[in-house]
Amino acid sequence: MSSPTLRRPEMRPRASARIVDRLMRGVLWAIALGFIVVLVIFVGAILRQGWPVLNWGFFTKMPETLDAGGGIKPELFNSIYLVGLSLAISLPTGIGAGIYLAEYAGQGRVLRFFRLCIETLAGTPSIVLALFGMIVFVQTLGWSFSIRAGAMTLALLNIPIITRVTEMSLRGVPQDLKEASYGLGATKLQTILKVLLPYSATGILTGVVLTAGRAFGESAILVFTAGTNVSSHFPDFRLTSPGETLAVHLWYITSDGTLPDAREIAAGTAAAMILVLLCLNLSVRLLDHGIRKRTR
Amino acid sequence: MDPAETRHSLPSKGPGSLRFLLDRGAHSLFLACALVVVALIAGILVFLSMRGLAAFLPLASNTGRVLSLREVFLSADWAPSSDRFGILSFVAGSLSVTGLALLVAAPSGILTAVFVTLLAPGWMKALMRQVMDLLVGIPSVVYGIFGLTFLLPLVSSKWLHDSPASGFLVAASILTVMIVPTIVSLSMDAFEALPKTLDEGALALGSTRWQSIWRVLIPAARPRLMTAVVLGMGRAIGEAMAVQMVIGNNPAWLSLVREATDRAPLMRFLFTPAATLTTELVQELPNTPAGSPWNNVLFAMGLLLYLMTMGIILATRRLGQRGSA
Repeated sequence: MSSPTLRRPEMRPRASARIVDRLMRGVLWAIALGFIVVLVIFVGAILRQGWPVLNWGFFTKMPETLDAGGGIKPELFNSIYLVGLSLAISLPTGIGAGIYLAEYAGQGRVLRFFRLCIETLAGTPSIVLALFGMIVFVQTLGWSFSIRAGAMTLALLNIPIITRVTEMSLRGVPQDLKEASYGLGATKLQTILKVLLPYSATGILTGVVLTAGRAFGESAILVFTAGTNVSSHFPDFRLTSPGETLAVHLWYITSDGTLPDAREIAAGTAAAMILVLLCLNLSVRLLDHGIRKRTR
Repeated sequence: MDPAETRHSLPSKGPGSLRFLLDRGAHSLFLACALVVVALIAGILVFLSMRGLAAFLPLASNTGRVLSLREVFLSADWAPSSDRFGILSFVAGSLSVTGLALLVAAPSGILTAVFVTLLAPGWMKALMRQVMDLLVGIPSVVYGIFGLTFLLPLVSSKWLHDSPASGFLVAASILTVMIVPTIVSLSMDAFEALPKTLDEGALALGSTRWQSIWRVLIPAARPRLMTAVVLGMGRAIGEAMAVQMVIGNNPAWLSLVREATDRAPLMRFLFTPAATLTTELVQELPNTPAGSPWNNVLFAMGLLLYLMTMGIILATRRLGQRGSA
């Protein structure tokens, strides 16, 4: 026996509205499933094209310039080396800036200004960072196309991401932990180093892995700063040698067109990159899982 | 201000001791790190301006004639070897490819965010987050190679009787997939920030799920949704490599679209090899001598891209303020 007011027609959606509702639910499911299909086709196509190329020789041979059958050994090395170097530059800076924003900048105008700058740097297209790196490192400092010019410019890409991740992780630390530390007489620096950073380490690490993935895949910046050649030695740790990475190699051989097997090499390189990124993604999952477990 | 300020300065060993000195030093060090970012923002502007504006100034370092702003920014006539440097067709190209990408990416991104925050069951939520994380993590050259070896041949054989398919359509479809994760994740933040009472109120008044989404939640989240779309737009305008690999790199595309008569206008627009600001930079910068007007104009294009980025970030600030007011 429901009350009469509940029977009023407008309290129940009209039939047409219910049909639209059903329809739109279907549309939303379809769009979401569509993106899953896109991803599956994408990764599937890249891996299927590249799979036959991926063998031990492909990873351990030097690249060829005119003949078929080259490998990607120095490119793989350069990719890892450049990502490592750029992180070595951007981690201290980014974490320092993140600490400043979370712990020293207050809540007012200073914070807003710094956030605006970091958003701008994060939003700057990598081709613009490439131009900047080319003017400053390659030309003005005379470093030419080299590992060091590439690493410095790549660091510019990383800094805003690491800053943001650090700031957000530090802000996630419970207030009572901080207060307990101050209450025990710790200075701000002691609190940051011994309480805040250890607590947020996993969060920051997740961000660092994501940043590494982004730097690993970056090409526009490195074409104009690290160049499209590799050193003839291996392994070549010198900061002045040219440092073509996997991503740049992939772009260069498809646009240059002197290699007879450019298609196969490109497919293999793309597949190798996807595999590396899948591994990075998996490790982020595991880290994330670790965080959830601990905070529960 | 900060209660911690006063608390941590309570001396336990006296303010002159080492740890308090370190504490003060650390403050400056962290500030210096933050200032690096500010210096970079300013540095990029200064260096790009130095090279980009050189084309328009009578400087000693210039090897060619001084250009006027008008002949560069208001002309689509790009023929560097015969001294004509109009970049309008590249601006038009950038805007076209971005616009086309947003046409699909904005609605589908926002609706996906709606789906993930409001409709999807738990497992689907987790799956969609994973999918978006992967899509955003794929490097632009890999998107490019996919377009080059998979999409272009497919479109060309299916729709175009094997004539080349490079141009805006394929470039924009790749860009769509590249910017959707940005739009989805920011839109999800927008929906999650809405008070639950809005949705509950609408449902309690007897609206269907969709009515609540369409008439209440999307309008309420509009400023932040627009921010999401604008940031997606920023990513699309700045993307270089993926677009360069599939768009065909033809600086004279505007006149080709106008003159060609063998196809319908829309088809011509979608499938004529074209060029954008970023693709021209990738294509031509390595081959131009420093100090030449050609080289300077390319840097001016970079400066234009940078100013667009700044404009976009400031626009999102405005939108954000309107949202909180």
